Amino acid sequence: MANKADAAHETAHDDHRPNVKLYIGVFAALLFFTCITVVISKFHLPRPQAIALGLFVAAIKASLVAAIFMHLWGEKKLIYSFIVVTFAFATMMWVPIFEGYAIRPKLLYPVAVADQHPDEAAAAAATDASAPAAASAPAPGAQP
Amino acid sequence: MSSTPITMDNADTHSGITNAKLGVWLFLASEVMLFATLFTTYIVLRMGATSWPWGWDALNVPLATLNTAILISSSVTIVMAYARAYDKDVHGYRLWMAATIALSLAFLVVKGFEYGHEFKLGIGPSTSVFYAIYFTMTGLHGIHIIGGILLNSGLLAMSFSKEHWENPLFLGRVEGAGLYWHFVDIVWIFLFPALYLL
Repeated sequence: MANKADAAHETAHDDHRPNVKLYIGVFAALLFFTCITVVISKFHLPRPQAIALGLFVAAIKASLVAAIFMHLWGEKKLIYSFIVVTFAFATMMWVPIFEGYAIRPKLLYPVAVADQHPDEAAAAAATDASAPAAASAPAPGAQP
Repeated sequence: MSSTPITMDNADTHSGITNAKLGVWLFLASEVMLFATLFTTYIVLRMGATSWPWGWDALNVPLATLNTAILISSSVTIVMAYARAYDKDVHGYRLWMAATIALSLAFLVVKGFEYGHEFKLGIGPSTSVFYAIYFTMTGLHGIHIIGGILLNSGLLAMSFSKEHWENPLFLGRVEGAGLYWHFVDIVWIFLFPALYLL
């Protein structure tokens, strides 16, 4: 029984034969990218560019750790499916953020629209001009 | 009454992945959701704030950079421990696993200095929204580091027992512990720029 288990065990791990030289190379790359991230942050780039660049470098580092150290490079499809489903659910949490900060403020705060999108503000003002008349008219189906 | 012993072997699934490895990946999936929730909270708080401090002004970036290097190094040492276990080199395994535990403790010591300095200045989670999310995220990450130290210490202790070392399941356990530790490293890879640099 032990031999059978041992054989199964060896088979399960043959795909992930350690590659020490590769590990050292990834280690050097991770340290290099860490230095890059810190140096970039000293330049005080505008926030959106700084955040995009910082997260891009972090994503490269995380990909290296996942692909090489966690042996995801050449992993079974079932593990990939776990990861895809997990990140799909994680991404779903971002939908309310987009709705709350990219769409709703334009509806709730027309002043911000006036500052950022003058053409849209003019159209909104034209709509508002006709609003009192519409508001004074009885709603369809309303009781007198 | 039957006296047939119950054996579990390595319980390979039909997918070719051991049950233990499947379990570790499912656990990591739940961990991804936990930290994704916290990162989403961070984004919501940051986008809703009228001002947000630069990490360089509010936190100790050199210490955090040192901790990043320490954690990256520990990711290498644990994968080297796995490589030694794979080649059945018990002394090499113990050396690299002990180095991993030492680096993990070093991370906590540096983090302790950082927290200590902040507390001395009267800074705590209630100081501001920024510090609230900073202490929550780094604190939860620190708890994961402690969990990893306990797990890796257990695997180091097991290597001193011939019964455990020669168990065919042992390599899978080391691989599982490595997967967890690399995940903790990845979380820090995102925490570091999000809180300290951007």
